[in-house]
Amino acid sequence: MSANQPSSLTATQADASFRAAVRLLASLMPDAAIATGAEPPLESLAQATEPPRTVGAIIIEDAAMRVHRVFEPPVAQFAAFLDGTQASRTLYSCDDGTPIVHGTAAAVIRERRNKRLYTRRHIVEHRLYANRRRVPKGVWTLLVETGLELRDTAEEDGDGPHPFVGRDAAIHRLQRDRENAEHALAKEWCQREDQPLLIDGGISGIESVARSSCAVGVIKSHRTLYAEGDALITIFALRRGERSSVFRVASERRTPVASWYLRLRDRAGTDPMWGLVRVEVAHPDRVDERAIGARADEVSRWILAEATPVSLPDGRWDKMVYGVRDCEEFLRAVI
Amino acid sequence: MTETIDVGLTGVVGPLGRVVATERKPNTPHEFHFWTALDSPVGIGTIVRVEGDQPVNGQIPEIYGIVVEGFSYTDLATPLHDVLGHDGTPGGASLAATHRAEIRLYTAAVLRQMPEEPLQPVPMGRVYLATNDDVAVALRMDGYLRGEDSTGIPVGVYRAGGTDAPIYLDADFLIGPEAAHLNITGVSGLATKTSAIEWILSSIFAHFPEKKGSVAALCFNVKGPDLCFLDQPGPIDEADKTLYEKCGVPAGPFEHVQYFAPYKPDGFSLNTLRSNEQLLGNVSSLTWGLREVLQYAEVLLNKDDVDAKADALIDFIRERVVDRDFSDALLGNKSYRVRSFADLEEWFKDVLSAMETRGNEGWRTHHVATIRKVRNRLSNISTRCAGLVTDDGGVSDLPFGSFQDRTVYVIDVASLEEAAQDLIFARVVTKLREHLEKRDLGVNHVIVFVDELNKYAPNDGPETYVRKMLLDLAERGRYLGLVLFSAQQFRSQVHRRVVGNSGTALYGRMDPDELATPGYSVLSPAVKTKLATLEKGQLMVRHPHFTQPIFVRFPRPAVMRGRDGAERYPQAVDVELDAAVLRSLRTLDPSLTLGWVRDTIGIREDEEVIRARNATLRERPADVKKFFQSQLRPVAVTHTPVRPMAPAIRSAPTDDPYGF
Repeated sequence: MSANQPSSLTATQADASFRAAVRLLASLMPDAAIATGAEPPLESLAQATEPPRTVGAIIIEDAAMRVHRVFEPPVAQFAAFLDGTQASRTLYSCDDGTPIVHGTAAAVIRERRNKRLYTRRHIVEHRLYANRRRVPKGVWTLLVETGLELRDTAEEDGDGPHPFVGRDAAIHRLQRDRENAEHALAKEWCQREDQPLLIDGGISGIESVARSSCAVGVIKSHRTLYAEGDALITIFALRRGERSSVFRVASERRTPVASWYLRLRDRAGTDPMWGLVRVEVAHPDRVDERAIGARADEVSRWILAEATPVSLPDGRWDKMVYGVRDCEEFLRAVI
Repeated sequence: MTETIDVGLTGVVGPLGRVVATERKPNTPHEFHFWTALDSPVGIGTIVRVEGDQPVNGQIPEIYGIVVEGFSYTDLATPLHDVLGHDGTPGGASLAATHRAEIRLYTAAVLRQMPEEPLQPVPMGRVYLATNDDVAVALRMDGYLRGEDSTGIPVGVYRAGGTDAPIYLDADFLIGPEAAHLNITGVSGLATKTSAIEWILSSIFAHFPEKKGSVAALCFNVKGPDLCFLDQPGPIDEADKTLYEKCGVPAGPFEHVQYFAPYKPDGFSLNTLRSNEQLLGNVSSLTWGLREVLQYAEVLLNKDDVDAKADALIDFIRERVVDRDFSDALLGNKSYRVRSFADLEEWFKDVLSAMETRGNEGWRTHHVATIRKVRNRLSNISTRCAGLVTDDGGVSDLPFGSFQDRTVYVIDVASLEEAAQDLIFARVVTKLREHLEKRDLGVNHVIVFVDELNKYAPNDGPETYVRKMLLDLAERGRYLGLVLFSAQQFRSQVHRRVVGNSGTALYGRMDPDELATPGYSVLSPAVKTKLATLEKGQLMVRHPHFTQPIFVRFPRPAVMRGRDGAERYPQAVDVELDAAVLRSLRTLDPSLTLGWVRDTIGIREDEEVIRARNATLRERPADVKKFFQSQLRPVAVTHTPVRPMAPAIRSAPTDDPYGF
């Protein structure tokens, strides 16, 4: 079941929220131990699976990684911000521990008009996630009877008996659904608009967005660093308002994009990545060093302008622009 | 994407807010919370209507509320975060590309729920700005605004957003008999209290239903020229005219006003700021004699003066001496007819003289010391209330028995001693009550306006006759049609039973110290703040039908302000007796001249001239000259006797030996 509407849920639509799903399942399985709602989201329990790593990247602006000062003052140019979120809870555990997970994926574009942010469009999708092979037939039938959209996680899930395997598979599947929601909104924006859109995260996941001149991705997490050796030292040495040389990020399944590191705030404490973001924009068809440098400076000015107001009290406020925090607050309110 | 326009149940375009409730801030049957857009026209005092989402007993609940508190906050956890965000530079705020998410959250007190049963907590729903019809329902005005049977008296206009709704008080609850009385509080100097009373009197005169009978107002002008020019037009602007039109009240001065004022101690100059010759046409003197005053002796004599023994003697004089033929063996069976203070003084003198002569310590159970004391105190009254109380017993009074409908009677006591003010108030109110009880006053209802109530009916201090009267008026007046409109600066300092019995209460701009007193604890901090900053022409209204106070605007009264009137019609300068008599009599006959008055008065004593003048003013004869002359004792024509010339004595012959 998915809810995909302009801005608000209406009472006439079926309620597929977690509480509604709990009530529905409890009515179908009166003797079963259904979730109470007090359980924390699975996202807060699951550990990050991606190991930290450094990857060498092809520098396309300079001969070697170096520091560029963004001299021109910051200027607010982003017309909108895009972010997505997900939340999942175990709804029911089968006798062998196989979890049936309720997941919500959501994404929103918040458009800026007269310095205030308004929802342009948002997507909220509720689904049930379970490994069909491990769920008893009778239970699966009951899940189908609920009328809620079911996602079979067998593809992500091995046949491991540990309940966490099923749980992680559900989270991964939900993650893909969330990315799809984000991509749908980003794609729609890039097709219809020519104003810059700041996307929380990378833009290489969908080609039309990765090639659009109006999509700018801002990545806050740095489990993968696109620099090694002296280049890494150069990046860590960036000061506020400085960026790295532009490099190319490419992988087999993703569209290549141009990227660079930008320091939004001066380093504080011992974290070398404090205030550090990585920016992704469309890779030029023909690499012109000066042009790509000018583009990096221009976009950096836009992002630096978003450093105020600060995103406190969010713990990632050093890297998070306020528009993204606003998206998160909105999504928190509607999911 | 199809855009839908929410028009609500009453067709108003677009909700302006949504009801919200949390566990920590839940809604109740008497209070709810809602948020609005940042640019919504909602403010403290705005009336809103909530449409619930779920039907109750098959009916979508509608809840009416008035905003009593407002909150605004952003997503900041602490102000320090904003400081950090701008590097401690306040000017940097304007450089921020995005304004923080911000909320306008309001708390509203429930005015009415439809349906009224079952009474439930306010449900979630959409919030709309109240329309004119909504305001009528919310304030239960729909119960008494019923076409020809309407008992609505406009008190002002409620304004919010695009709504411009007249607010009506229920005459049954303002003038009686269901409830009655009105009290107004506000700081001095903003012309709110007096202006509001003048406006409401205009409104009552325009809207008081004829089927409920006639109504008149009696105002005590206690300070300056406040109420001295109610019959003179004053300037009003276009905005005020609109308010008058909205409320259906004629924007003009009072058509029928009668002024009353005592004389100054000289006995012939009116003791009022409305003494300009051009305005004397409807100014009458107010003078009382011994009989009128003696009935209210306890107003003027404090408890130390009037003990039980003195009280007994005063009763004796009142019952057996005044206005009766009195004789006593002690006085040699001389016949007395005591009608004035002068007669009374003569009577006292004879009684005491007779007792001294005979060496008596007592007379008719009254000790000589008591008689001396009562004589001293009563004789003193005519001195303390000179101008009001006449030695000669002459009476010029209010037209008890012939009060006119929709007429304002103003008694100017502003320049009088406190004792004289008290005496006037006590006697006038008592007479009104007596006449209303007998239903022969001339009107069915009388509104008595008293300003500076914290002086006349204070919360503390000694029990006074005037306070007792005000309490009685507040508690029992409505059954008779005697209604108290009162005003004061500090409501907390007025006797609780007086303000507590006022069915309707108005509040102008308030002093913050006053608002800090316990009587205002039911008001929210925001309402208090609004009260402390109210503009001229704004009032907060409490009325039995309104479950919450309402803010209204009222127009400036279309009468001349006291200050303007005093400048335009300056007080007449004190003049000689002949000029004063001319000034008074000219109101009856403009053809009189100073020369005629001088010739007529001649060399007569002042007292006699004043008595004649008073009698003429009282009788208002067709032929003023003739009547005035008839009141003066004839003067004997002086003839110089002509002595007949005695015949000259014949001169003696020079040779007369007997000649000298």
